[in-house]
Amino acid sequence: MPDQTDAVIDVRNLRVAVGGRLLLDVPALRVRSGERVALVGPNGAGKSSLLKVFGGFLPATQGAVTVLGRPFGGADAPKLPPSQWRALRAEVGQVMQGLHLVARLSALENVVLGALARPRTMPAWRSWLRCYPPALCQEAIEALTELGLAERLHTRADRLSGGERQKVSLARLRLQRPRLILADEPTSALDPSATLQACQALLAVAHRATLLTVVHDPALLPLLADRVIGLKNGRVAFDLPLADLRPSRLAELYDGAPERGVASVGAGRCDHSANAAPQFHTPASPPQERPALA
Amino acid sequence: MQVAATLRSRPWLPRGRLGFFALLVAYAALVLACLLTLLAAGDLSWGRAPWQNLQKTVAEFAHPSFLELWFGPERLEYRSDDGTLLRVENRQQVEANFLAALARATWTTFQIATLGSLLAALLALPLGLLSARNLHAPRPLALAASTVLDVSRAIHTLVFGLLLVGIVGLGPTAGILAIALHSMGTYGKLYAESIETLDMGAVDAVRATGASPLQVFFSAVAPSVLPQFVSNHLYVWEFNIRDSTILGLIGAGGLGLLISEAVSLFQWSRLATILLVVVALVTVFDTASRRIRQALL
Repeated sequence: MPDQTDAVIDVRNLRVAVGGRLLLDVPALRVRSGERVALVGPNGAGKSSLLKVFGGFLPATQGAVTVLGRPFGGADAPKLPPSQWRALRAEVGQVMQGLHLVARLSALENVVLGALARPRTMPAWRSWLRCYPPALCQEAIEALTELGLAERLHTRADRLSGGERQKVSLARLRLQRPRLILADEPTSALDPSATLQACQALLAVAHRATLLTVVHDPALLPLLADRVIGLKNGRVAFDLPLADLRPSRLAELYDGAPERGVASVGAGRCDHSANAAPQFHTPASPPQERPALA
Repeated sequence: MQVAATLRSRPWLPRGRLGFFALLVAYAALVLACLLTLLAAGDLSWGRAPWQNLQKTVAEFAHPSFLELWFGPERLEYRSDDGTLLRVENRQQVEANFLAALARATWTTFQIATLGSLLAALLALPLGLLSARNLHAPRPLALAASTVLDVSRAIHTLVFGLLLVGIVGLGPTAGILAIALHSMGTYGKLYAESIETLDMGAVDAVRATGASPLQVFFSAVAPSVLPQFVSNHLYVWEFNIRDSTILGLIGAGGLGLLISEAVSLFQWSRLATILLVVVALVTVFDTASRRIRQALL
């Protein structure tokens, strides 16, 4: 039984409703330090919403969430003061679809922004004058070079391709040095070889951190997770170690899933029989030998 | 896309291509109505001798007065009908004096445009912030701000100028205030639009790194909004340089005064000189401002 301090994320009776629609209903969920957790589930299951709650970008309606020892949540839970939010966000690295690069800054500058919260490193005037500490720039150059962006250092973010942007946000994560990483489909914009590269980069950043990833491609599960949480209609359908996860459970999760949240069960049924059921690759099959990416 | 959406929200307008065709017909009808009423009133005339007048004007324009600085007679004698010498003029000296006055007037015009634009930019800043939809200012305040901006945009600089000449008297002050009051509306609208195009995803991403509000402002908000603000400022400033050349017509100082003087005295060659200066001024400023704006965006 892990003690309280070991839990990086502790969810109690979490309910999130937006516009009268229940997005999430999670009675209890605990993620321990150093775990690699994958969130799987059909579209609209609440995977991204759950990550947004943990990142503080979606307020909980009810219940409480404790992330890295800082409790926050619905009306009944304590409120975090802004400085505590900032301290929390500095320790939580986020790669999400709604989070973009600053378009007019170069790839390098965007990566350097990851270090904004380090104490006494980046006072606001440095951002204003775009005069960043050389040590940080060096760190950023290394991070970008490792991801194969050595030639795009000084390209403006809005001139980068979608895959390159994704890599830049991963590099930014590295400079942030988070203790917990929330990644929402970090490989969604990448081609097969870049996917592997990005996953390895993510794992390198998450070296000593806890990693929560939304995974759409089951082939990536062995790489990114040792625990898989299946979400459906905002509820936890299963929560298993990767070794115990059978392909049938995964296929069941995706099969006949309503597109909408809990409130519209039965109303918004969507026939998935036309789509092929997702293939589950056993950990033995290396990801680069997959026939094709969905 | 936006237009199609707005068209579809009007139930009285037919949908799709038919709707566009209906708009086209309405426009054609409007143009015809304008033409026919003018014709019916007999107001669409070319005057008595348009061709000869044109030739005369072109001939005068072809000799801009500044040429007299070198080619003008040094001793031009004005005599009465009985041959008495009334006055002797050194045309070169007269022209030199005129050019000096022209230079001063050009500088005044530039002063009016520059100070007026700056004043307008400062006045419009709070109003633009209030009326930007994505900043969610309190509704009554936002409504008031956008009304003020709309009104100031609707009233022409010249009208403001006429009013202000009555209030603060003749001179550049009236011109500066007139430019400021009219441009305020343009600035406010451009500010609001720049702010509305701000990518909140990028702002959130910087907030997600745990940055303080000041860091977020300088790292995510300023890099995208400030170049647009500067670009807007240059654009309106450029526009105001053109506008302020006319303000002198109503006594608000600058080149306009010389223009009205030249026109009243039918001195087309002087008007040609003034217009050359106006064109040069506007072109130089336009080019410089376009270069800077291209570099910024």
